[in-house]
Amino acid sequence: MGKERVLIANRGEIALRIIQACKDLGLDYVVLYTKEDEFSLHVRIAQQEESGFKKAYRVANYKDPNEIFSVADEAECTAIHPGYGFFSENYGFARRAAMRNRPLTFIGPRWEVIRDLGSKINTKRLAKDLNVPVIPGSDGSIYNELEAEGVAEELFFLQKEQGIQHPSILVKASAGGGGMGIEEVCHLDAFRRTYRRIQNYAKRQFGDEGVLIEQCLRDYQHLEVQLLCSSHAEVVHFGTRNCTIQSAGRQKRVEVAPGFDSAVCEYAFDARAVLDRIVKYSVRLAKHAGYDNIGTWEWIVSRDGSPYLMEVNTRIQVENEISACISRLNGSNEPPNLIRDQIRVALGDRLGFTQKNISFEGTSIELRIVAEDTKRGFVPWCGTITRFDYPDEPWARLYSHVPRDTPYKIPTEYDPNFALAIIWGQDTEQAKERARQFQNRTIIEGKGAGDESIITNLEYLYDRIDDVLQF
Amino acid sequence: MDINLNDLLRRYRSHPFEDYPVETPHTGVVFLKVKEGQTVKGPGGEWLHRPGTMLYVIERERNVKRTTALWSGQVSGIRLDIEGQFVEAGELLFSIRHQLDKEEIIDRILTQVLYILPAPQRARYFLAPEISARMEKQPKEGVSVESGDDVLIMSLMKRDTVISYEGVPGALYKVYFKPGDTVEQGSPLLGICPPDKLRYVQKVIQRIRTEWEK
Repeated sequence: MGKERVLIANRGEIALRIIQACKDLGLDYVVLYTKEDEFSLHVRIAQQEESGFKKAYRVANYKDPNEIFSVADEAECTAIHPGYGFFSENYGFARRAAMRNRPLTFIGPRWEVIRDLGSKINTKRLAKDLNVPVIPGSDGSIYNELEAEGVAEELFFLQKEQGIQHPSILVKASAGGGGMGIEEVCHLDAFRRTYRRIQNYAKRQFGDEGVLIEQCLRDYQHLEVQLLCSSHAEVVHFGTRNCTIQSAGRQKRVEVAPGFDSAVCEYAFDARAVLDRIVKYSVRLAKHAGYDNIGTWEWIVSRDGSPYLMEVNTRIQVENEISACISRLNGSNEPPNLIRDQIRVALGDRLGFTQKNISFEGTSIELRIVAEDTKRGFVPWCGTITRFDYPDEPWARLYSHVPRDTPYKIPTEYDPNFALAIIWGQDTEQAKERARQFQNRTIIEGKGAGDESIITNLEYLYDRIDDVLQF
Repeated sequence: MDINLNDLLRRYRSHPFEDYPVETPHTGVVFLKVKEGQTVKGPGGEWLHRPGTMLYVIERERNVKRTTALWSGQVSGIRLDIEGQFVEAGELLFSIRHQLDKEEIIDRILTQVLYILPAPQRARYFLAPEISARMEKQPKEGVSVESGDDVLIMSLMKRDTVISYEGVPGALYKVYFKPGDTVEQGSPLLGICPPDKLRYVQKVIQRIRTEWEK
């Protein structure tokens, strides 16, 4: 068999991390980009690298499967890495990759697994069958306003029965993800308007107007379990993460691994036991579903320590690296690289290690640096970044598609996220201190269309570092 | 604002052309169907139901797309080197030099007469559902807007923002985009005609119609 060639069907920092993983594994790669992204670093790297073939192709958009497959054929790719977002959790896309005349390896779980676990609704049904706790709410997409109102009414009633003082529900776009298309409703009277807004939004953004309705749990922590599985029925976990610090639009901003730390925070429950429990439930579901690649099990843990499974992300996660940072394989000082492992197992490799070979050390924090105004509802900022400097430390890594040697106009077509900082510390206190140091020494300058200075969330991130892991 | 219509008409008369680049909408193998200097026709018929001249065919994933001219005019700068080749999205194939007609001249001149709501950012735009519904029920000149009305939805960086109209009250005279279009910052989105200007606007239109043919 010839050398594998991976088509990277994504943009931004994840495209850069996949490029690096391919290089580490000695694989060829090809990138896609849109006109708006032509000055992104992932394009520049691909275009400048010496090779005997074209490595960067301009496409109409990242969401057109025909674009992706036509480039895959033209560039003679053998596999597709979808990154996160876009087609990463689209089972139809994964199925098409596997079943077309010229098949391509989809770097992610089998399409049947994505179908079963990629949908919040299916996951909920499956979890219930396996006695894994889930959040109360609808267990199917709702397209009918009266039906939706009925579910909402029932959820408000149940919360009142439980003595919850300020009951509320969440209306979510079924096909959404990454915190997009979710709104809270505090009174039944306001339900219809929100329902229609989300329905319209879902139709515009995802082409499917189905919505989910769930009880809105308050006073909780958002945890994740990182799993890596192979097609050889191997399942291991890389511990837990805590992603509670989110923007007003429920997008993660600060993440930390591990998910709880009793050494720095007091919990009203046995934190170790809860983490073990969510890992055990996640592994149970993964084994049952025949999970065969990387994936994240997302959990809500209430103040009393009750866990509820929210969803499974059948893809690599933005914050995967903080899990890797606290993991050690066979006691090695070098943390594993989960993107590399994800590609390896998708290409048929065995993991090469078991759970016994994985140990954990220290705390890792991820800061998502975004051009947004955190004081005005996290509204995105549009403009040009003219300077971007950050400290070079052995305990920190920064991933960004923003070039440092030339001004970079943030495309208005995509999220204004432009960098990820990953910090590691021997313990949580040291990780927090280092995160603050990193933030303090990061310099970002830029101008908007009206010559106003760039607005970023750096200050917000600094303020929130102390809040990690706390209820 | 009153305009110097004579000057504007003189300017358009001296150069009544616009060059429209014809670019590939997506990747694929392209086959050109026109030649350098060829005159092509845009859509015709009462409802523009007759397609224009076939310009090129692009094949991607065994789907064949035939693209016809959206404007009449003359083909220039044709790229013969790409015939039968795989091309990327946004590849320039050729340009069409289009001669502006009377109605197009009116449209362009009206941007200087109407109250224009420009795009605050480069983003995708949609009419607010209520405005859209009202426009379906009555002619657009009958749809009036005033300050504070939610008129547009701006889809920017995956977030939807409702845009309220801030300006003189008046009739929604012109919509300069199609729903979902990406509009450049500063480009016109809506043209509003205040009631006291309606007669003036109609006079301008009438004058262009009469004088353009001279």
